[in-house]
Amino acid sequence: MTTGWERKSWWAVADIVILVYALAPVLWIVSLSFKPLNSIYDGRFIPAEFTWSNYQQIFRLAPFVSALRNSIGIALIATGLSVVIGTLAAYAIARLSFPGKKLLVGVALLISMFPQISLVSPLFDIERTVGLFNTWPGLILPYITFSLPLAIYTLSAFFGEIPWELEKAAQMDGATPFQAFRSVIVPLAAPGVFTTAILVFIFCWNDFLFAVSLTSTEASQTTTVAIAEFTGASDFTEPTGSISAAAVLLTIPIILFVLCFQRRIVAGLTAGAVKG
Amino acid sequence: MATIVLDKLTKRFPDGVLAVREVDLQIADGEFVILVGPSGCGKSTTLNMIAGLEDITSGELRIGNERVNERAPKDRDLAMVFQSYALYPHMTVRDNIAFPLKLARAGRATIEARVAGTADLLDLTDLLDRKPATLSGGQRQRVAMGRAIVRNPQAFLMDEPLSNLDAKLRVQMQVSVSRLQKKLGTTTVYVTHDQTEAMRLGDRVVVMRRGVVQQVGAPQSLYEQPANLFVAGFIGSPAMNFLPARLEDSALRCILGELRLSDRMRRTLDAAHAPREVIMGVRPEHFQDAALVEPDAKEYGMSFTAHVEMLESLGSDKYAHFSLKGEPVNADELTELAAEAGTAEVLGAAQLVTRLPVASAATEGQRVQIWFDPDQVQLFDPSDGRNLTLGLAVPRSRQLHYLGAGTRG
Repeated sequence: MTTGWERKSWWAVADIVILVYALAPVLWIVSLSFKPLNSIYDGRFIPAEFTWSNYQQIFRLAPFVSALRNSIGIALIATGLSVVIGTLAAYAIARLSFPGKKLLVGVALLISMFPQISLVSPLFDIERTVGLFNTWPGLILPYITFSLPLAIYTLSAFFGEIPWELEKAAQMDGATPFQAFRSVIVPLAAPGVFTTAILVFIFCWNDFLFAVSLTSTEASQTTTVAIAEFTGASDFTEPTGSISAAAVLLTIPIILFVLCFQRRIVAGLTAGAVKG
Repeated sequence: MATIVLDKLTKRFPDGVLAVREVDLQIADGEFVILVGPSGCGKSTTLNMIAGLEDITSGELRIGNERVNERAPKDRDLAMVFQSYALYPHMTVRDNIAFPLKLARAGRATIEARVAGTADLLDLTDLLDRKPATLSGGQRQRVAMGRAIVRNPQAFLMDEPLSNLDAKLRVQMQVSVSRLQKKLGTTTVYVTHDQTEAMRLGDRVVVMRRGVVQQVGAPQSLYEQPANLFVAGFIGSPAMNFLPARLEDSALRCILGELRLSDRMRRTLDAAHAPREVIMGVRPEHFQDAALVEPDAKEYGMSFTAHVEMLESLGSDKYAHFSLKGEPVNADELTELAAEAGTAEVLGAAQLVTRLPVASAATEGQRVQIWFDPDQVQLFDPSDGRNLTLGLAVPRSRQLHYLGAGTRG
């Protein structure tokens, strides 16, 4: 019993260390977001004086509200498309053998390894020429491009876990290939689909590089860019409080997203660990 | 229910491997046919071609007199049971069994009634609301059977459905499968690598090797009259003993001694154009402890004395193993079978297994005199493996004569 207790307490210590390490900066930002302008630099972890003024201020700033709308819209659309395309592609890669399959997977991998910064200037030129610059599709397209390799990789791993015989069984039971895909394969791959969706969503939500390069106005600027462009109340004040408040707000959708699908993600992340 | 006809069915994989070569087989309505052979013999590929899961390279497949080569699996109205059972893990037992009916757009009432009937038949009623993950291997196997029979298909295809069960349960399930098939009277094609299972279940057994059908027949006829060396070595457990032998004018010479050939045997061998060097095969149960053989039978047969290397007592019988001085038979077919059975050990000497009654006094390490009936000897051509003594029916009376001396149940 003692060894069990000892082991548990060691785990507890390790957990606490990791939690503190990971959460301290987040809590620091939360704390900053509640501090009034004059005590931002007082170095106290718990604000001496609570204020909502930072939050009120960012909502008064028109760019932030439109940026929030842009972020949510662009991230959701990009995630949806990426997961749908990724599911179909991953299924084909996991199940079919066709000429050029290895090449296709290789190219997908290449895209994900490509330094994104090197593509920013060409993309900027291309989008300006074809009229995609500073539009939603102008961001959605590169997001899909860069999240697809991730989606395909995660999903094909999940599809690979599903025994092929299940599909044959469905066919023998009278299903068309699409029926077999829909009523047998997709439900079983659901954890994988959700896991992928979350990863892709976080990627799109957090992106700064493309957002700052390929947008210029409220029409398509996302929150990450909007925050960067915050200005203080006067030229001589830094917008630290507003930035903190906006950063806290930005993490909320992700937290909600993850909490909603937590059970499915956990199932997804552990799928394959236990052969069932 | 329907007849299934395989007409020169051939499968060549894209990489050029010829998996199944011109299989001809006519399966009667309601018949239970077993495809058996070592792994890689093409039995599962043949089954998958019948199912429609593999394309047919050439030849024709007819179900109920209709060509179905080009039909998708779902349009062939066949049900299949897989080795892994392939149950849908996200559905309950009820939904698993109902799945084919739902796809066929059966009415709710029909589905309920059919699922209930099937569950009752297979003793699954209490498990209907469980998920496959919570079931034991035997229960999963029954659910897989249920999913196959619920639709009342033209035929059942079974791909090693019992291989994942432990030995005891497997034997039980063999009995249930056989009973179920008789009760439903549905044409069944069953694939297994286990010859005992094949013998126990099949109305007819198809032995395959390297994509080619070796022999088709009732279990007993395969056992008694194997068409070639491969079938002889494959069917029967323990396997038939093989020894190199040499035909001389009116005698057969082997390491056990010299055997006088009967006139019938000689005529048969002449008709078959037997070569001088042959392979002699004798089943373990055709040996007998000489002490238990009646004197006149002893006169007729042949005896030899050897050292019992190992004795297995199985309660009802004893298996006495001998190591003989002499080269073992060297034939492709037998090497393949030994490799499959995992007994490909290099002994460098001919081995002999005999099945003796418990009354035998044979003991390990002792010498014992063993008798055998020359009429039970089968001879094979080493060049192509064909059975040279095929069609040489064994006189029953004599068989009974010496068996009567023992204490066989």
